[in-house]
Amino acid sequence: MVIKNFSSKPRAAFFDFACCEGCQLTVLQLDDRLLELMAHVEIIEWRQVMSGRGDKYDIAFCEGGVVRNEDVDRIRSIRDRTDILAALGSCASIACHNSLRNEWNVEYAIKHVYGENAGDFDLIPVRPISEVVEVDYQATGCPVSLKEFVTVFEHILTGKIYRPPNDPVCRECKQNDYVCVYEKGRICLGPVTRCGCGAACVAHGDACHGCRGLVDDANTDAVFKALEPKSRHTIMEQMVRKNRLTETDLMKKLSIYDPPKKPENGKE
Amino acid sequence: MTYRTISITNLNRLFEYIIESKDLFAPKEREDQPGFYRFDRILKPDEITLSYGTTTIPPKAFFFPPEETLFTFSLSDEGAKLNPELEEAPFVLAGVHPCDLAAIEALDLALGQPPADHRWLFNRRRAVIIGVDCTPDEYCFCGSVNTLNSRNPADLFLTPVSGGYLVEIPTARGLELLSSVETFEAGPEHLEEAETRRKEKTAQLTAAFNRTSADIAGVLESGGFGDIWKELASRCYSCGSCNLVCPTCFCFHTDDRFELNLTSGHRFRSWDSCQFLEFALVTGGHNFRGLRRNRVRHRWRCKFLHLYKEFGRVFCTGCGRCSRACTADINMADVINRLVHESENHSETRPGKEG
Amino acid sequence: MNKQIQESDFPNPEGHWELYWLPHQAMVRRTRRLASRIKLLKLEMSTKAAFSYFPGQFIQLSVFGYGEAPISICSSPENSNVFELCIRDAGNLTHAAHDLEPGDRAGVRGPFGHGFPMNQLKGKNILVIAGGIGIAPLRSLIQTTMANPGDYGGISVFYGAKKPADLLFIDELENLNAEDRLNLSTIVDEPDRQWPGRTGVVTDPLHEFKIGDPENTAAVIAGPPVMYRFVLMKLLEKEIPEDQIYFTLERRFECGMGKCGHCRLDDVYVCRDGPVFSYSDLRDRREFNEIKQDED
Repeated sequence: MVIKNFSSKPRAAFFDFACCEGCQLTVLQLDDRLLELMAHVEIIEWRQVMSGRGDKYDIAFCEGGVVRNEDVDRIRSIRDRTDILAALGSCASIACHNSLRNEWNVEYAIKHVYGENAGDFDLIPVRPISEVVEVDYQATGCPVSLKEFVTVFEHILTGKIYRPPNDPVCRECKQNDYVCVYEKGRICLGPVTRCGCGAACVAHGDACHGCRGLVDDANTDAVFKALEPKSRHTIMEQMVRKNRLTETDLMKKLSIYDPPKKPENGKE
Repeated sequence: MTYRTISITNLNRLFEYIIESKDLFAPKEREDQPGFYRFDRILKPDEITLSYGTTTIPPKAFFFPPEETLFTFSLSDEGAKLNPELEEAPFVLAGVHPCDLAAIEALDLALGQPPADHRWLFNRRRAVIIGVDCTPDEYCFCGSVNTLNSRNPADLFLTPVSGGYLVEIPTARGLELLSSVETFEAGPEHLEEAETRRKEKTAQLTAAFNRTSADIAGVLESGGFGDIWKELASRCYSCGSCNLVCPTCFCFHTDDRFELNLTSGHRFRSWDSCQFLEFALVTGGHNFRGLRRNRVRHRWRCKFLHLYKEFGRVFCTGCGRCSRACTADINMADVINRLVHESENHSETRPGKEG
Repeated sequence: MNKQIQESDFPNPEGHWELYWLPHQAMVRRTRRLASRIKLLKLEMSTKAAFSYFPGQFIQLSVFGYGEAPISICSSPENSNVFELCIRDAGNLTHAAHDLEPGDRAGVRGPFGHGFPMNQLKGKNILVIAGGIGIAPLRSLIQTTMANPGDYGGISVFYGAKKPADLLFIDELENLNAEDRLNLSTIVDEPDRQWPGRTGVVTDPLHEFKIGDPENTAAVIAGPPVMYRFVLMKLLEKEIPEDQIYFTLERRFECGMGKCGHCRLDDVYVCRDGPVFSYSDLRDRREFNEIKQDED
């Protein structure tokens, strides 16, 4: 009764573009469950763990962002040689930290980082792979969440469409009964950030930094409004006073992973 | 109604007695955040704090968990074998405030309405509930929604008095449980002390509605609050925190997952929120509540009008969790009062039925 | 009110809750492709318990591991243990349902909701107005009236779709038309070269249709939300009484019995209190009127 998406054991591969390779490391932390997953696929290429090379793939997991012209060619070539392309992590899905460079033009950035003797860098504005080629599956997060990776894998193997969660982190935070980060006097991007991580950062005593990107109708204006003195919640009041938080600080925080689109987000 | 008194030592003995034979859940100070409390499994009576502030997650979670398996399935050529995964073991839930008792009672109506939600009823049957009186904080407004002194569906209810607690015994199950330890008949001085405490509690409530909760339905029905909903929507994140901490919200979402063997799996449900963008989205792509202001409006209309019409009570118990959880400062009592004010003062100029 | 739950209210572990909450097995008997993304599945319940339904009711179809989705029953209730579902491939469940072959098993909960008010329709002339896959629940109604011809007045079917290929069950409707058992008007929005019929929207043939006795005429409507407003205007123009205009509404149904909350339309749960409503029931409901406005 199970509908298998593949007629024989699918050949899978992992690739990386500009990234820290942390998502692949995270996947390796699956330990025993990794073996369970691997029973369903044959890994034919994964630079981080083996030396083999493949030619055609059924499933390609790609980590990282597109930052050079040659990356564009490479991701297109992978797209051509694979049935299913899955973006692994935020760099591949929403450009993540890499895209901070997009605030400057490429020439300035090269000079600023490498000085006058900078060699021949073929840099282009940073894009997630999903903006260059069609992506079939997406597991966001910095790094990718193991639970979500397993879920995406399950969806690929059984031919299900995977829609990345579009509810805010508050959903999982409340469901796990964590104390609201604002109550602890810190700012948290949970209310406007996509969930799917199980509120992992909050679970470990941190705040949400928004690594999974904004939800579809994120009301980022409301995040600023909440800071206005006349509409401040008691908890917000304490938080603002404790951190001497300004709108600029907030904008910077929001811009790390997925800068809000101007002028307005979503519908009222 | 019978009233008894119990000393703190004997109450602890009662808890010990419970722990010997079944699970006991009660408010406990959080290790990760002192000053905050949660209902947790109790191993020793001294872990319990009965004078606690409102918990983040309401005790409804013991009957309707944030995420639960509806059934597991295993697949073969003969089809699917389903296992409904129902728990049978009895437990005791102690330290439930009047507002949260009222919420369980409200959910008994909504989820118990035929065809009843069997998981809710199965779990309710497993539990003996011990209520306890509370001290309100700045977000509480139980005085406005008739839940100040709610007792249903508690089997025992404790009010602190000098030397221990006054015990109300509303049910036979409560009486049976209490008979395991020594208690005394309550004298008029105990009842008086409890009454004084209740008066003090009422006086401490700072948040309140300007109209009775029953009137709110009529106010909402009259409509014409478009500007208020718009203003609220400009501040609302649609984060759903208000619904997720609400003791009376009961919407849920279901989905399936395979295990990694791909031949078995489970169907689960998890708490949902009508404030989420995709709450009313259908597969074809139409979103029946795509506008944030309509989602915000729905929350008030659902709690104070629609469910009131159906069950004769508002689905808000004044616990104040949503007001506290909303860092955008959308405060339940404030919004109700704005609506009341708008309906009283601008009935001539209001545009009529919209909003 | 404020009734406390009694011991007797709790479900008996051997009680009937499984009927509502656990899917029952059904065997796929036949499958047929109706359009590029639409398939007809014939299912037979494997349970011994009686399974009966009314036109306009829906079931929750499960393919385990792929979830559950509400699907209108599109066959006549005469042989109720065997029934047909018309399924558009739009999500994970419906995609998996398209892969089902005869002999495969699926899960079924329900039927849920109230169907069309067949008793109120008795003796009346019926206008059946369908848009696209909206024909599915209406086919169940049409088949019921065909099986009991003496009970109902004249049946007129107005069926509009985007393209000719999107007109479902067209052969059987045309046969009934040829036999004069009903009066069929089809119309498409985007005709192809082979299309011999009319081009336009479903309100066009409805506009031209002469209604002799509006008081004795009822209309049943199923289709995309965008269609409702214009059809409604036309029917009111023709003086069909408000309580004789019936819509079957689409919403997100997860539980099917007014618990999960996704299908709320003001104070009604569409799954439980509908999905068929008369216009007089809907007229004053804010969220219904707003949907009509949103479509402008």
